[in-house]
Amino acid sequence: MAPPYRPLYWIVLFVFGLLVQTALLPQVFPIGYVPSVMVSLVVLLALYESPRRGLGLGIMAGALTDLLGGRLIGLNTATYGLLGYYIAKYQERFKHDQIFVPGLIGALSQLIMALAQWGILNAVGYRLPWQAVTAPLPYWVLFGLLFTPAMGGILGIRPASPAKPRRH
Amino acid sequence: MGEWGQRIRRLVLAAVIIALVVSSMSLTASPRVRVIRVSNWIASAVSPISFSLAWIGNKVGRGVSTLGNLYAVEQENRALRAKLLRYNAMRLELSEVLADNGQLRSLLGLKRALGGWKLEPASVIARSPSTWFDTVVVDRGTSSGVRPGQSVIVPQGVVGRVVGASASTATVMLILDPRSGAGAIDARSQAAGVVSGDNPVSGLLTFQLFSHRPQIDPGDAVVTSGYSQYYPKGLLIGQVIRVAKAQYGLTETATVRPSVDFNNLSQVMIVLSHPAQASVPPIFGGGRS
Repeated sequence: MAPPYRPLYWIVLFVFGLLVQTALLPQVFPIGYVPSVMVSLVVLLALYESPRRGLGLGIMAGALTDLLGGRLIGLNTATYGLLGYYIAKYQERFKHDQIFVPGLIGALSQLIMALAQWGILNAVGYRLPWQAVTAPLPYWVLFGLLFTPAMGGILGIRPASPAKPRRH
Repeated sequence: MGEWGQRIRRLVLAAVIIALVVSSMSLTASPRVRVIRVSNWIASAVSPISFSLAWIGNKVGRGVSTLGNLYAVEQENRALRAKLLRYNAMRLELSEVLADNGQLRSLLGLKRALGGWKLEPASVIARSPSTWFDTVVVDRGTSSGVRPGQSVIVPQGVVGRVVGASASTATVMLILDPRSGAGAIDARSQAAGVVSGDNPVSGLLTFQLFSHRPQIDPGDAVVTSGYSQYYPKGLLIGQVIRVAKAQYGLTETATVRPSVDFNNLSQVMIVLSHPAQASVPPIFGGGRS
């Protein structure tokens, strides 16, 4: 059973995530190393949603990020939208635990999004060196691994129907 | 037929979406006043929370880094003591040069111009949500006289320029941004070029020189040339750390370490107005005497 449709809750959560990403994390991480809170939030919410809702919440998160950034509008909207869609599409194949699966997918998503956005930016004329991705990647992956399940625990986001126990 | 129709419909929809995203990205690739205005509205609406979070993060971050830096500080202290001895010797020489310089300035009539700098202090309340671009949001806007195009400085050097402003906040593009492009000259050889961000991780700048043989050396100071419409002449940008031939070897490119520590940027000065002649801003040691 899908959880109730709560777009207002998503917006509040994404705005809060953006504030943490733009005001709080830059005090901890140096320039160029700040990980994406929005990716973790999209993963966390899309894990328990239908593909259509996953796409919607990804677009919502990306559009807010693009509007606040004010540059290259569409980059985050498109990539976050696709991320939300594919996670929601394949989420039923994963065993729904609350720590390992969100952590692993959160970490993988940080990696995929960094590579995808780096590729798109280079394709549209930004000459970003490979080091711009490889140097901060361990920090981003570790952040996704720990932050995504932690956020899920704090917000109480969990599967509507817990995984069935194995029969011996 | 129905299945084919649906497939074609999906393909057309995908093509339309890709076209929309590509055109939107190409239209907003460089900072545009209208787009930045929207982001400034959002930044203004959330600025009280941003300010609080930045303040909390700053205090916590400082506490943690103070503990972590205790060993580094001891090493640094030794190195600084050695440097201090060298600088004391240099200071004696400089005091003579400064005396001469002061006389020359009064002769040239620049003394009056030094008082023409109008600066607005501001606090950094947020950074860009995208890791690929280097912009910050400050807590001063059009109500304080801030306008797009004004340069932003700190006592250590150039920070960047204002690219958009709302009533209470302004977006500043740092010189670290790959699209910043500040006109610059090598203070020693007077070789001119353009300085822009090197890459988001290194925190270094690329100084693309115009001249074929610019005679620029590591250690040289790089300052704003005043040729661009945004930055007044003579503001310190950084120091050359290496020089290399550009692609195809036609021109040279220098890598510059910025004089500003962008990781600890919390207070900045926005240059609201400055005299047209070359002069030094008050926070660089100039100003009314």
